[in-house]
Amino acid sequence: MVNSMVQTPKGKEGDTLAPKTLEAALASLAQEGAIPYAGGTDLMVAEDERRPFLFLHNIAELQGFSEDDEYYRLGAGLTYTRIMNDKRMPALLVEAASQIAAPAIRNAGTIGGNIANASPKADSALVLVATDSLVRLVSAAGERVIPIGQFLVGRQKTTRRPDELLVEILMPKRWLADYRFTKVGGRKALAISRVSFAGLFAAESGVIQHLALAFGAVEDTIVRRPQIDGLLIGKSVEEARALSEEWLAAWDAAITPLRGRVSARYRKQVCLNLAAAFLKSRLESTD
Amino acid sequence: MRCEIEFTLNGATTQWAGEAGRKLLDVLRDEFALVGVKCGCREGECGACSVLMDGVLVNSCLVAMGRLQGCEVLTIEGYRLTERFKVLDRALANRSAVQCGYCIPGMVLAAEALLAACPRPSDAEVRRGLSGNLCRCTGYNAIAGAILDASKEGEGLW
Ligand SMILES: Cc1cc2nc3c(=O)[nH]c(=O)nc-3n(C[C@H](O)[C@H](O)[C@H](O)COP(=O)(O)OP(=O)(O)OC[C@H]3O[C@@H](n4cnc5c(N)ncnc54)[C@H](O)[C@@H]3O)c2cc1C
Ligand code: FES
Ligand code: FES
Repeated sequence: MVNSMVQTPKGKEGDTLAPKTLEAALASLAQEGAIPYAGGTDLMVAEDERRPFLFLHNIAELQGFSEDDEYYRLGAGLTYTRIMNDKRMPALLVEAASQIAAPAIRNAGTIGGNIANASPKADSALVLVATDSLVRLVSAAGERVIPIGQFLVGRQKTTRRPDELLVEILMPKRWLADYRFTKVGGRKALAISRVSFAGLFAAESGVIQHLALAFGAVEDTIVRRPQIDGLLIGKSVEEARALSEEWLAAWDAAITPLRGRVSARYRKQVCLNLAAAFLKSRLESTD
Repeated sequence: MRCEIEFTLNGATTQWAGEAGRKLLDVLRDEFALVGVKCGCREGECGACSVLMDGVLVNSCLVAMGRLQGCEVLTIEGYRLTERFKVLDRALANRSAVQCGYCIPGMVLAAEALLAACPRPSDAEVRRGLSGNLCRCTGYNAIAGAILDASKEGEGLW
């Protein structure tokens, strides 16, 4: 049975298999509902040869990097190796990238794939959640820019429509100076995090200007609770110390870890310890 | 989804047709009989399947064939023919750094990728460069030492 309507994508012309322009990629996504393929390091773990992949690596718009006063603009197709080798990249992101897996995975794996895969363990996604980054989604019909928290909505669940590509990530520059990124994992290389943590802090004249924590590998999605951290924003160090028990109790109530290989209680305790240690160290250095 | 692609395999222009989602690892071993490419895990954890794709180290178990249109793939069988290989080969032999050998093709290509980017690495850099390649036999010290030796002896090659 030969279906003459089905065309074999010819790689040589580079048309439908690995389009060279964003426009061409979006046109074929709109028609065929193909699966975007960036580095393949999440996709190819599954054994399914028949998936209709759309290869993204030739699209220049996905490889860009620029910055303006407000944002770093990161192309979704940037690999971890590219991020680590580019001096202009934000240090927090470089730190997260350099702790991901091993060279071969970092050479192929992309920041966009890390986000679109929507794993609660994703390390660069954790950083982007902690920094309240935005994602730019583009389809043949138009584009939208939304907070990453509205993009990642569950385990392997995003609000991406099948005809959209994640093209760019906008990372706000404002609060990046003082951060901590920690992975509590098993083996050093290759270990996907058991619990991961990113925290940002800023104070001026003894008053907390910014506090943002995010936890990975603990719930179905990366956890960020601006209302909880907001308890301490605008407070003096003294006030923050007095409120820190309340703040930690709020985090305690907010985190409901899933059962996994590492027990739920252990993971939750690690989160709370990381939160408390981060706040303590920042309040001390502000004093 | 089927595709037809053209890529360079160990220096030779090569046509291939088949499922675009097929793993490069399987095609190299089963269709091109390049069995120096080893299969340890099929999920990116062990590095036994390492190859160079456009000069960059990748795990061939995590590369879909459709990705290769226009690319250059180098396996250990192609790399064997280079001067650099001879230096690494000798260095590994001098330190008796090879036991069962299963991890070695991947280790050698990881070493090549490392030395190409960083010709005089420190011990820590070597270990970082090999961090995606598991060895169940040697405990890594002899392999890391051999790569450091090669980086000195191969002066000018990398
Ligand atoms: C051995 C091993 C170790 C790993 N270690 C880590 C680790 O330490 N930390 C970590 O965070 N991750 C880790 N990973 C997971 C993986 O490498 C990363 O998540 C990587 O960033 C995925 O990117 P990719 O380009 O390979 O994605 P792909 O596999 O190509 O795609 C992943 C998903 O995203 C979609 N997608 C990709 N690009 C786009 C786009 N532009 N628009 C819309 N959808 C898109 C795909 O359709 C797919 O659903 C590891 C994986 C392996 C195999
Ligand atoms: S077989 Fe590819 S990394 Fe193990
Ligand atoms: S020598 Fe046996 S696995 Fe490395």
